[in-house]
Amino acid sequence: MNTTKPITHTILRAEGFSCPSCVAKIEKRLGRIDGVEKVKVHFASARIEIDHDDSVSVEDLIAAVAKAGYTATKAAF
Amino acid sequence: MITLTRLARGRWTVPAVAGLLIAISFLADRVLNGDLAGDLAMIAAAVVAGTPIVIKAFNALVARVIGIDLLVSVAAMGAVIIGEYWEAAAVTFLFAVGHALEAATLNRTRSALAELVAVAPDVAVVLRAGDQVEIPAAQVGNGETVLVKNGAKVPVDGVVIEGTGGLDEASITGESIPVEKSAGDRVFAGTVSTGGFFQVRATGVGADTTLARIIHRVEEAQDAKAGTQLFMDRFSAWYTPAIMVLALVAGLVSGDVVLGLTLLVIGCPGALVISIPVSIVAGIGRAAKDGILIKGGEFLETSAKITVVAVDKTGTLTKGRPRLTDVTVLDPSMDRAQVLTWAARAEAGSEHPLARTILDAAAAEGSTVRGLPDHTQPIPGKGITATADGHRILIGNLALLEQYGISDTSSAARTAETLASAGQTPMIVAVDDWVVGVVAVADEVRQDAARMVADLHAAGVEKVVMLTGDARLVAEAVGSATGVDEIRAGLLPEDKLNAVLELQREGHTVAMVGDGVNDAPALATADIGVAMGAAGSAVAVETADIALMGDNLLKLPEAISLARRTVANMRQNITIAVATVALLLLGVLLGGVTMSIGMLVHEVSVLVVIINAMRLLQRTRQHAPQPTQQVPARDRTAHQNV
Repeated sequence: MNTTKPITHTILRAEGFSCPSCVAKIEKRLGRIDGVEKVKVHFASARIEIDHDDSVSVEDLIAAVAKAGYTATKAAF
Repeated sequence: MITLTRLARGRWTVPAVAGLLIAISFLADRVLNGDLAGDLAMIAAAVVAGTPIVIKAFNALVARVIGIDLLVSVAAMGAVIIGEYWEAAAVTFLFAVGHALEAATLNRTRSALAELVAVAPDVAVVLRAGDQVEIPAAQVGNGETVLVKNGAKVPVDGVVIEGTGGLDEASITGESIPVEKSAGDRVFAGTVSTGGFFQVRATGVGADTTLARIIHRVEEAQDAKAGTQLFMDRFSAWYTPAIMVLALVAGLVSGDVVLGLTLLVIGCPGALVISIPVSIVAGIGRAAKDGILIKGGEFLETSAKITVVAVDKTGTLTKGRPRLTDVTVLDPSMDRAQVLTWAARAEAGSEHPLARTILDAAAAEGSTVRGLPDHTQPIPGKGITATADGHRILIGNLALLEQYGISDTSSAARTAETLASAGQTPMIVAVDDWVVGVVAVADEVRQDAARMVADLHAAGVEKVVMLTGDARLVAEAVGSATGVDEIRAGLLPEDKLNAVLELQREGHTVAMVGDGVNDAPALATADIGVAMGAAGSAVAVETADIALMGDNLLKLPEAISLARRTVANMRQNITIAVATVALLLLGVLLGGVTMSIGMLVHEVSVLVVIINAMRLLQRTRQHAPQPTQQVPARDRTAHQNV
């Protein structure tokens, strides 16, 4: 049991953001995942920034975004 | 199951099925004359179109968000309950269609950025122990040698170490004409080889490339909210709940359920909330594609208000590479080469930027000066004095001659003035207190400088002011060649700052263009600091309010007129959104606007706003003699119509 897990900063680029209020749903859904520290969804540029530890994989994050109804891919930078 | 979800995910599946059911319902009504069959089909249509909306509304509620989906769900379910099947079907169908169209078009407004992301290179061919190895671009190490073959994408930022060829740098600078590169030149990740073969030493990889910085910058800029947008955000935060309360109150007071439900439909804040972001995203994206980085919506709004552009002369209006332009011999016993050699001997010990020019010119004419003078002393603001081979050489202006008590200066003064009026910087040369001649250097005026000034005026800039440390006569020559409105000459770096402050005090919105080194304070003080040729400088990309990636002067007027068009576009969108809501409210309260009409108008207004923003993505180069020349004219009429 380690108490201090390294935090990874992942940026996803999403498609099909069409209303600013929809992004709140994504924020909430990702925020509920264990190991996710911080989520910021940018409507205008369709980006999702997530701070999470290594118990969460990028695939988990993409799956959660898909459940909220949007397609996302990991951004290289 | 999988095919079912895929079908359900398809953008157009739901609207298509719902539309079909509505058509069947109408047919059943007409042909079969059966009310029941028609009603059933209509309810089915509402269920098909409405279910995804209800699911989304439910999910949002779970996440404690009251969204548009909820408003539409309540309105549609209410309509079904009171027997208004057509209204329920129409509202959900139109909402589904509108949503699909919105998703498709809204993505288009983000297309400029998506294109930039798409140019990011995936693979690199590196030279490791003599072998060519293909690896992911992000795994290239700094200092490794990368091969760029004909037609390939440059995978990293770096310096050419061997080979020559052309590169299409459009993704970085917005200039589509290929640039010739050879050893020592910088290259950028995401540019494309148009021929040739290079070896490049990697200096920046992955997130540490100019392309990554541009993408990052543009995304941040698109997300940064301008003042107007913050206002609209606050407005719409109140607007939706207010409409819901109004719907409830209106329904209860009048006892008219339909009125209440109709108000709910009208309450969707669609066009209002996206009116500003779509314009800004499209405007900033368009600019980035042309090699113009604008820091954010706020800077876009300020750029649209620019009334004065202050430009640094050297390096902006001129090439920043002075050349020897004239040698006038005033001592009949000497010739041109001797005068130049004396000048070069004195300058050999100087650190002044012009010294290099004199030395190079002398060397080019066959008099290479070796070694330093025995003694060199710079006289600030006047010139230098040097001692070489037992002779005292003076090189500088008239004030220098006066300081050394040289009496016969009339011919030197005349020559100097003639040269200065022609835009050249004269330097009088005296040996042992005897004037022998005048050498002159000049910085070439850039080819596009005059057109830039004219274009700035055309873009609505009132005044173009030239700031320079050079002497007035020289500055005036450059000024008349370029058409600037005002000249402030003989300035020290801190005077440039004061000049900007003074212009601001006169009530101007000032943009300052400079190299960012000795203009830094003035650039920071100006309302908009513009960096030119920013591709090579990470700092410029990250800090300049407007960064022009290439070295093209004409990008500046282009940036300002694009800012103006974007802000105008934003205003049109706000007007469309607010007018739609006002008209719909009025229509509902006065009667005549039903739920389905309300939804139709609503969705149309959203699409109009998005399509209006998409106009910004069109190429509107005023100068390129292309078929797109029609576009600006069309733009103007469109502006007037709104």
